[in-house]
Amino acid sequence: MVAGYYYNITFVQLGLIDLGTRLVGMSETVVSMWMGALAVCTLLVALATGVAMDRRGWSTDLRTKLRILFGVVLLQFLLTLVAPTIRTTPAFGAWIVGASIGLGVGFPVSFSLAIDLVPVPDRGIVAAAITAIAYFGANAYPLEWSIDVFSGLMLAAMLPGLLILGAIASGRIDPIEGLLDELSGQYHEFGTGRFCRPTSVRTKSLAFAVPLVLMFGVFFVDSLGFLRIIDTPALLLSSWQSPELSTRLLIAGAHVAGAVMAGVIYVNFSLERIFLWTFALFALTHVIYTSDLRMAEFFPTLADPGSSPLNPMLYAVAVSFYTTLNFALWPDLATAETIGTHAAIGVGVAGWLATFSSTALALYFQAADLTLLSHLNVVQALSLLLVFGLAVGLYGRRMAAAAREGRPT
Amino acid sequence: MNPTEAIPLLIVVLLLVSIGGGEVERMDVTFAGDHDVEAIDDVHVVAGGTTTVPSNASVAGDVYLIGGSIEVHGTVEGDLTVLAGNLTVGSAGTVTGTVEQYGGAVSIAEGATIDDLVQFDVPVASNTPARQAAALLLQFLALGLVGVVLVRRRPSLLENVGDAIVGHPLVSGVVGSLAAVTLLVLFVYMAFTIVLIPVSIVGLIAEGLIVVYGQVAIGYLVGHRLPIGRGDLATVAGIGVLVLFLEVLGVLPVIGAVVQLALVVVGFGAVVNTYFGLARFEPASIPSGASP
Repeated sequence: MVAGYYYNITFVQLGLIDLGTRLVGMSETVVSMWMGALAVCTLLVALATGVAMDRRGWSTDLRTKLRILFGVVLLQFLLTLVAPTIRTTPAFGAWIVGASIGLGVGFPVSFSLAIDLVPVPDRGIVAAAITAIAYFGANAYPLEWSIDVFSGLMLAAMLPGLLILGAIASGRIDPIEGLLDELSGQYHEFGTGRFCRPTSVRTKSLAFAVPLVLMFGVFFVDSLGFLRIIDTPALLLSSWQSPELSTRLLIAGAHVAGAVMAGVIYVNFSLERIFLWTFALFALTHVIYTSDLRMAEFFPTLADPGSSPLNPMLYAVAVSFYTTLNFALWPDLATAETIGTHAAIGVGVAGWLATFSSTALALYFQAADLTLLSHLNVVQALSLLLVFGLAVGLYGRRMAAAAREGRPT
Repeated sequence: MNPTEAIPLLIVVLLLVSIGGGEVERMDVTFAGDHDVEAIDDVHVVAGGTTTVPSNASVAGDVYLIGGSIEVHGTVEGDLTVLAGNLTVGSAGTVTGTVEQYGGAVSIAEGATIDDLVQFDVPVASNTPARQAAALLLQFLALGLVGVVLVRRRPSLLENVGDAIVGHPLVSGVVGSLAAVTLLVLFVYMAFTIVLIPVSIVGLIAEGLIVVYGQVAIGYLVGHRLPIGRGDLATVAGIGVLVLFLEVLGVLPVIGAVVQLALVVVGFGAVVNTYFGLARFEPASIPSGASP
């Protein structure tokens, strides 16, 4: 999961922009449209995969899932190998289709491994560990955001994983087979998620739809804001792409702290509480970003380099919060029979569709020549609306419950 | 001084400018670098770097110094307020208004012309053992008083907070650090809107009170491990031990500060998680094993 997520946040999200703009020669707008296409294709492939997994019983068959995963990693290895050689738009488009098949098949399968490998009470902590390691690696290690650099690193990192998965998938190594025999029955114990007791959460129910909408909101807000932040050299060079190791380490440390906090809160509090914290952190982060920009507008000398790392650190904490939640939530909203569909809809709609929509909106903002402050103002408004909406929703639910209790019989 | 560090003093300047009838919209701020100023737009704030009024220049407006340095060799037609940083008025320098010093350093050369110099002596805490002991005693008395009142009137409050500290230190620490930091940032940024300064002040005081409450609860826990029968006396004694312990920790360079901070955030989180002691903190129960 760590490797997969690291691949996603570095190679797919950042490497593709470099590949499209620098090597293929497309404009940033065209690359963003291709990335939107990648998101939609991934969602469609994921939905088909998730439904097929549940209907055909692959969700509860550990060996089948590992074989599919081997195929996915092999495909991604080949795609990563050829990526730096792409020079034409049709080749870039073909690469996008291939990548969306890999991602779309890969993430429902990898999320479904939780029912075989992670006990329900440990999911918050395991999700926190995945988030912390992936983000720490992505932020602390000073990589240039170019497809060649990402490709080289990914190939080196994927090769051992590919060999191990190949050995597991072959079914010919006795000690591994023994271990798989032991693990393959664990879904009976780990399969029913935290929020599926005593009754399982149905796909067409509010209990599934509400977290889905909230996660869509948080992915959308994050993506919409971050797209503009990484497009602003002054903000980027003083944070995620800072030449100072100490700044990057501070951000990486904030990611780890945020993940640990989210893990602890996920395990000890209700789902509403962690959603409230996530939205509150995002709202606060964007309030600070926009306040700083207003201040800079007011006092132009503020635009001096050497600004405080507080903003990206708080941003990192908020991102780690929802990423941890994303890893733990979908398996916990599913049973062994629904994990494929729920993970596909959850990650697909909340993650990929939100990314697609926010990219489209960001492009519209770009075409409308929206200033940085105006852009982040929209993001701030959305994040404040999410906090307020959730708080009102929770209060309304309690009010309704109180009214039901007080109703004369 | 970077913008984030300058924010608290900038807020003070904004308040002073607003009170003085100045135009906040026409305020310039210098954060870094060396600058020669020959004209200012109503109000000029120096937060970093070195700003010089050259000998042949005459600037009309008020100048505020909150960091860095100002060297006046020409004429400032207005007031000059020093909150922090270094002000030097050269022998040929002139300030037609008042030089007000609240902090920082002011050096006025012989021959310099200033209308008036007002120096507000900010009391500097001296580190004599007697003063330290008095401060410690005052802290102990204040916390002890709160502890006694709570133990006598609503002992369940401290009991609930204490249980959260002992039973769930990690959750208390996480919630405490998260809540304390986010609220602090929120209140500081609220203050910067000027309109919300009263809310910001109330919020910061409330945060301080939560810290105090948490410390009283830790003192209560310590007291109940001492061989003292009466609850209120035990609490006071526990608070005394805690205050002394915190003082000793202050002497240790890094570890001391880390432990002090940990005690503060754990206490803070326990207070928040128990709704100020009104309810016991019960973590969510996560079912495990096969579903029935």
